[in-house]
Amino acid sequence: MSKEERERGDGKGNGLILEVEDIHTYYGSIHAIKGVTLEVHEGEIVTLIGANGAGKSTTLRSINGLNHPREGRIRFQGKDITNEAPHNVVKMGISQSPEGRKLFPRMSVLENLQMGAFQRNDRSAIAEDLERVYGLFPRLSERKSQKAGTLSGGEQQMVAMGRALMASPKLLMLDEPSMGLAPIFVEKIFEIVQEINDQGTPVLLVEQNALMALDVADRGYVMETGVIAVTDEAKNLRQNEKVQKAYLGIE
Amino acid sequence: MASQARTEPPSQIAALLSRPRPSLVAIIGILVVLALIAWLVANFVKDPAEFVNVFLIGLTRGAVYALVALGYTLVYGILQLINFAHGDQFALAGLLASSVLLSVFNVTDESGAGIVIVAIGVTLLIAMVFAATTNTVIERVAYRPLRQSPRLAALITAIGMSFIVQNVALGFYDTQFQSIPRLVPNSDVFSVGGVALQWNKFFVLLLTIPVLLALTWLVTSTRHGKAMRATSMDPDAAAMMGINVNRTISFTFALAGALAGAAGLLYLLYFTTMRFDTGFELGLIAFTAAVLGGIGNLTGAVLGGILIGLVQEFNEGLTVLTPGGDWTRSIVFGILIAILVFRPSGLLGEQTPEGG
Repeated sequence: MSKEERERGDGKGNGLILEVEDIHTYYGSIHAIKGVTLEVHEGEIVTLIGANGAGKSTTLRSINGLNHPREGRIRFQGKDITNEAPHNVVKMGISQSPEGRKLFPRMSVLENLQMGAFQRNDRSAIAEDLERVYGLFPRLSERKSQKAGTLSGGEQQMVAMGRALMASPKLLMLDEPSMGLAPIFVEKIFEIVQEINDQGTPVLLVEQNALMALDVADRGYVMETGVIAVTDEAKNLRQNEKVQKAYLGIE
Repeated sequence: MASQARTEPPSQIAALLSRPRPSLVAIIGILVVLALIAWLVANFVKDPAEFVNVFLIGLTRGAVYALVALGYTLVYGILQLINFAHGDQFALAGLLASSVLLSVFNVTDESGAGIVIVAIGVTLLIAMVFAATTNTVIERVAYRPLRQSPRLAALITAIGMSFIVQNVALGFYDTQFQSIPRLVPNSDVFSVGGVALQWNKFFVLLLTIPVLLALTWLVTSTRHGKAMRATSMDPDAAAMMGINVNRTISFTFALAGALAGAAGLLYLLYFTTMRFDTGFELGLIAFTAAVLGGIGNLTGAVLGGILIGLVQEFNEGLTVLTPGGDWTRSIVFGILIAILVFRPSGLLGEQTPEGG
């Protein structure tokens, strides 16, 4: 265990849950990920920041099985999931709120949330999780019979996150949860990310809004054109001059 | 729908004033519909009983179209692929059914009711399983490898598959029509004031309705159905929910194939004869029905199928100012073109990832 991890002393950083080891992933014929290594530990919020097209989403697609890496290893709770089919990855405990939300537009809010629990059979636990989601997003409980396609952007983001939580994940991946949202919603979304994490779910957060992401995260990785350029504690990254210039808009 | 509710106009008058002027196309459309209604009314007044009889024939034909159209629409809904081989699968399954009926059950005009019922039941099962299997294999072999390819590649492959299936049927059954005895009698179920429904029509409707209800239940209420709906809206998102997308697509092809198999047998029982290329034209008509109703939309496929069946029979069976059978194809495919030009999303709206 490293010095920083011991110093934090809040139980975070113990227990490696996700290990991504030097993966290379192609998007069609484009070499999108050129050797990415990252880790998520029990209880952490880890953020992956970087410019548009840096390969953040492709990294998530490598983890969730939609786009298998050609080289490298991905381990989840010690198990190799590098070439696992996406539906099995979900069953193992990784769920995701994808970029652009990707709701099922002709299904109601409730049906969308239920789809999140598709691979589960424990009815009573599913009902409890539904209550938990409604607790986090009271708005969704008001809108439960409305078609997801007719919701506002912020509400859709809530459904996407709620839907991912309905899988009862051991690792939650959020891809650009703040994209296209009004500032007030952005604040709210990050508060909820924090709250989800406080309830015990580790989060891998992909964001372009680096400032907000580094505010809630424990650690961060900065991606540049398919590689990890910098990695550090989130608070150090906020002070890092290069990061400030490139991603935080601080000169 | 919600947006309509929110933008409710303040008053009727304001609504009338703010209403945009109807376009020329809309006016022509309304005139065509009015002319159609006038034509139907004229025919009805001339001979009401005959009109209803023709309606029943159209309904029966439409039911067969609906079953085939559902197969097109199920597959299109999930892959945005027009499975041109679908019509030929229907014909191949129908031909196989004729072999089973003639060679295995040795049915003749004199066969007793008991044996006929058993023969039809078993043949139905065989035709459905056969077409479900071949359809699934076709997807696995021909369409799955092309899933990431441009859509044109899959389309051309589908046309190729259509020729292959058709020629398999040609290889086994040659160019002769395969005919079976009339197993479901064309005696009347009832006859009231000149309106009569025969058993062979009643039988088609009797079998189609539970199939449609079962399909609706399957798609709306079961786990498989949920997986299908989710996959048709967004395959990637469906995979992220833990849905096995490949298996869901296979299941959809199996379901579409089973419907084609059932339709093949029903067609055979109703028309008593078919051959290797019966599925080509019927497939195109059923595809038109699917587009008319709104491709990807199950209710739309049934509505479209029945409408096309009615159009065809009205055109061929009515007497007042009727173009007649020579014009049927022109009219049916004219409808296809008109729908594609003026209302590409069909009567009930298409249901695809793009179509919302």
